[in-house]
Amino acid sequence: MRKRTYIFSLWFLGVIAGLPFAQTPQHFYNIDSERQVEGTIQEIVMEPRYKDSAPFLVLILEEKGTHLVYNVEVSPAWFFEQDFHKGEGLTVIGSFYTTDGKKMNIIAREVRFKGETLVLRDKHGFPNWQGGQTGEKGRRRGKGIKKF
Amino acid sequence: MREKRTLLFSLFNGETMKKIGGVILLLMLSVGVLRPDTLSLSLFQNITDNLFQNTYPEPDHLSNMSFSIDKNFSRLSLFAFGEYSYLFENSDIAYYSQDLGLDYLQPLNEKSALYFSLLGRGYFYKSDYSDYNYISVNGYIALKSYLSQTSILKSNYTLEYKSYRTSIFDYISHSLFVSADKYFPTKTTLKAEMNWGYKYFLQPYQTAITEAPVEMPSPQEGKGRGKHAGMGNVYDTPDVPVSTQQEGGEGIQVFSAGFLLAQGIGNKIGINLTGMKQWVLSGENPFDFVEEFYMVENPSYDRFSWSGIQIGSQVSFLMPWNVEMKVDFKYTDKEFPGIESLSLDGEPLGLTRNDQRSQLGVSVKKNFARITLFLSYSYVDNRSNDPFYDWEGNYLTVGLTWDHFYGEGK
Repeated sequence: MRKRTYIFSLWFLGVIAGLPFAQTPQHFYNIDSERQVEGTIQEIVMEPRYKDSAPFLVLILEEKGTHLVYNVEVSPAWFFEQDFHKGEGLTVIGSFYTTDGKKMNIIAREVRFKGETLVLRDKHGFPNWQGGQTGEKGRRRGKGIKKF
Repeated sequence: MREKRTLLFSLFNGETMKKIGGVILLLMLSVGVLRPDTLSLSLFQNITDNLFQNTYPEPDHLSNMSFSIDKNFSRLSLFAFGEYSYLFENSDIAYYSQDLGLDYLQPLNEKSALYFSLLGRGYFYKSDYSDYNYISVNGYIALKSYLSQTSILKSNYTLEYKSYRTSIFDYISHSLFVSADKYFPTKTTLKAEMNWGYKYFLQPYQTAITEAPVEMPSPQEGKGRGKHAGMGNVYDTPDVPVSTQQEGGEGIQVFSAGFLLAQGIGNKIGINLTGMKQWVLSGENPFDFVEEFYMVENPSYDRFSWSGIQIGSQVSFLMPWNVEMKVDFKYTDKEFPGIESLSLDGEPLGLTRNDQRSQLGVSVKKNFARITLFLSYSYVDNRSNDPFYDWEGNYLTVGLTWDHFYGEGK
């Protein structure tokens, strides 16, 4: 009986995990257009990017060597999670798209700087920032593991 | 055979499986009802040779599993976090905790934003530690503003109320934090910060006068002072580690000032140095002793319980295959006002307890598609003028988290 309960629980969990919840057809992360850019932050702003969503932290990034300028969308949450400054160098991996035919944008999936990697989305482009928007890292996740 | 099971599968004995089943059912209910945007599952295994952090080391294996879910409604987010922790040798310290909260991000302009959160939390320990069961409410408001493109001002205020099963620990605390930083073209960041806090004990201390002497451990017992560091002996009685010298409703006020100096070397190496000094402005610990236990929260030991200094440094590397590695060292010198050091026989030494601690840690993290692996090791050397708290310990943690996203791929 107990075994059947566990099997049913696992099946139920699997069904829920597989439910294709509604998606909007706009502004998707396109893994086929991924590119990696290394550059220097020129400006930091918060801009609205999606309907009914908090404004995004946007880093204006000048690419090293080419001097091309990209608008890097980080996420609403990471505004409080990380302290970016003008002049800081970083490497971003993300989905590239253009607006108005010339403005170059990157939806950031991964940011590397100061010897750390910030994973904002998984490799399929799905957001990974549920632990952010906290002002204090890990706050939302509770105590977790006590690290010395 | 048993040893192997201890090391690798301490989570999966019969009793624990019932708990895990309960957590899974709660998780399914949460997922089914909330239909979250994200779901994260974590599993960690910890090994230590000094669980109770005292001079009589006691090894144990700790298994920890947790889940967190998020549901976003525009700028408002609902979130829940559940955690079950099991100790193989000291299973009566096992606990379950549950967080439930909401938060809200409000941009003020292109350079500033406010963040609010309201968090409810419950901690439920097994029998030996059930006196420390509590529920709490935590309100938090934060402001972040770019003073210039290279300078950031941050501040936050936290109000917390905790209600314990043993009401003598009940308190309300206020914390106010302010920091300002400046980034220089040399890739150097300099930050200064200040923190003020006030913890007010809601119950009169005299209501919890200890009715029996605090039990002292024998060297063979390897347990904590007062109660088995973790739980046990003295707590089976109404005794709590509370002084008989003070009277009701008093508080402790602390203030700290600190700095951070960080240097980036390319994008792959970061070095930082931190320092902090804390003063107790008023009040002192109402307890006869303060203890901390690995992984387990103890109301007698928190940031209000000490004055002193803390110095730390950390080096972060991005290794090949994008493996992130951190090496850190921290030194603290803490005095615990109101706490008198005792000999191992329980005789007062006429000294205020003072601990000097050095700790060295190494951690490695690797992100895969939806799974993140963790490995960390720490060595702690704690020198105290109270010989019971003169200890050292080793801590090893391995773990993984799995993230799943249900909602829009934006």
